[in-house]
Amino acid sequence: MSIAARASPASARRRWFRLDLTTPTLLGLPLAWLAVFFLVPIAIVAAYSFDVYSIDPGPHGFTLQAWHAFLHSSVYLSLFWKSVKMSLIVSATIVLLAYPLAYYLALSGTKRKYVLLLLLIAPFLTSYLLRVLAWKVILGNQGALNSFLVWTGLRSPDHPISQLLYSRFAVMLVLAYIWLPFVALPIFVSLESLDRRLLEAASDLGATRLQAFRRVTLPLSLPGIFAAFLFVFIPTLGEFVTPSLVGGTSGYMYGNQIVDLFGTGFPDWETGSVLAIFLLGVVGVLTIVFARFLQPRQVTAE
Amino acid sequence: MEESLERRLSREQLLKIAAAAGGATLLAGRLGTAEAAQAAQLAESGRLQVLDWAGYGNDGGQAMFSAYVKGHPRNKPQFTYMTNESDALAKIHAGLKPDLFRPYVGWVKYFATSGLVQPWNPKLMPNFKHLNPFMVKAGQYKGKQYGIPDDWGFDAILYRGDKVHPRAKSWGLLFDERYKGKIAWFDDLEMLVIAGLYLGMPRPWRQSDAELKRSQQFLIKKKKLARLIWSSETNLWEAFGSGDLWIAYAWPNDWVQMKKKKLKVVYMRPKEKPIAWVGMFMLLKGSPRPRLAHSYVNAWSSKRSGKWLEDNYGYGHANVLARPSSSDLLRALQLTNPKAVTEPAAHLDRDVPRRAVYARMWEEVKAS
Repeated sequence: MSIAARASPASARRRWFRLDLTTPTLLGLPLAWLAVFFLVPIAIVAAYSFDVYSIDPGPHGFTLQAWHAFLHSSVYLSLFWKSVKMSLIVSATIVLLAYPLAYYLALSGTKRKYVLLLLLIAPFLTSYLLRVLAWKVILGNQGALNSFLVWTGLRSPDHPISQLLYSRFAVMLVLAYIWLPFVALPIFVSLESLDRRLLEAASDLGATRLQAFRRVTLPLSLPGIFAAFLFVFIPTLGEFVTPSLVGGTSGYMYGNQIVDLFGTGFPDWETGSVLAIFLLGVVGVLTIVFARFLQPRQVTAE
Repeated sequence: MEESLERRLSREQLLKIAAAAGGATLLAGRLGTAEAAQAAQLAESGRLQVLDWAGYGNDGGQAMFSAYVKGHPRNKPQFTYMTNESDALAKIHAGLKPDLFRPYVGWVKYFATSGLVQPWNPKLMPNFKHLNPFMVKAGQYKGKQYGIPDDWGFDAILYRGDKVHPRAKSWGLLFDERYKGKIAWFDDLEMLVIAGLYLGMPRPWRQSDAELKRSQQFLIKKKKLARLIWSSETNLWEAFGSGDLWIAYAWPNDWVQMKKKKLKVVYMRPKEKPIAWVGMFMLLKGSPRPRLAHSYVNAWSSKRSGKWLEDNYGYGHANVLARPSSSDLLRALQLTNPKAVTEPAAHLDRDVPRRAVYARMWEEVKAS
């Protein structure tokens, strides 16, 4: 028997031991974190939605009443649909805006691309709240935009464009501004990792630049596009800070309703929990559906 | 540093108190009630936890509790802010443990029967005898003093006199089609009460299902006119001050603040009558600092605090000795009228027996 053969049971044991302890050690803490601060709170919220827990001192127990009321409420479902539409518009618009930007940064080959990328994410260095509030200064009746229009003579001081602030438009504009870097980054990463030889091959095979983009670049960057879309769509669907600051009556979103049910309105944690769990469910389904588009893709020449 | 100092002092206090409490028991008869109360106050440690409205804490309201801070430098109040009573209720349910908080008169019965609060002992507050007897009575439930009245004022309509020309002095100005996009409502179920008042319902706080539905449909129909449904006064001031709004549901302080911005504003008393409110300090059940809470409310109840509140915020004060410097304000608030907050001058806000139903309907108005 060789030395190597004699040593192998011990090294196998060491390997097993290492495997046995390393994996739980590395995964244990994040899993425990996830369980305590994500799964347990969700379970508690779910329990409120079924009236298993209640803030009312009276008798309570498992019931589907709040779920039934929610699913038969045209008001809440309409509000949800309104928020879906707003988030879709914001997400789609900024994906369209960010794509050329990311394309230029990733494929132009300029040496300054990382400097430009840094400039793109520079707004992250200031607080979220400050970035939202800055738009009030821009969009208000006496804000920068209206002042400019008055200065140029395009509007009279008595008739500024008053629908800029406290409107659905204001919410979507500010959300687009806030989330633009989140969209540009995943697209940039997917484009930068593109194998340039594929573009050369396409060119060698007679493809025009537009054809190469349509048949090679775009399909291969789709995972980045879907990831970017999800990065924006999911958080904006439950957004409540921006609408409460610049949204006014017409910019009120589903997330605001959840907050109000838990706090500002007479506390109705049961209905608030139903709305929150429903949102979570929709986001979960969307993530599963979109996950298949996040896989790396292949392109083939016809 | 400050925290550790405070903890150290608190331990010292505890040691003192062990002796003081024993001494107080032995000597109570000879020292009298005041000394015993003082000794008991010493037994309470830590910072007084106050759940109050913005503007009433360290964000500008310091003058109204300065006497307390002077008397209890080691137990300075620590504030958490509430946007309304529902918000306070949610925070308490979520685990916040204030010693005292300030709902308004319409919530006295709700909180008194909720098991969350305990009655005050007026004997521990020397300034209590100067408080408006009508308001004091409004703070009682089943003969016990659950609420100590302090600030009071009105819910009415603020509008730009240079831009708005009301057809009548009425709550209807909040629903006037001519001013679409220039109107602000308040984020509270009270909007259903206001709709009820405007629509001529006999008991707006106790609307039947049909009446409530009618009020709700009316508000949903008119919601397109409202640009903002405000819950924070600073939000209102900013939008009103910048000209984004011309008409708003507002409180007297909002009128004072807009006047300070040199805007031509009018604070209208609608013909359907304004809704009057009285702030009621309430003591949380199980508070570890009840004596300090009494001392804090006593400071708030002084003539000096009352005058400061009236001069600076434009609210009335329950201390009948307090008078503002401005005679305009005296007239506007009817401070010489001991019953300015009730009929025939105004509707005093009151208990809404079906508060949860009202709240759900109001939430639906916002969501619609």
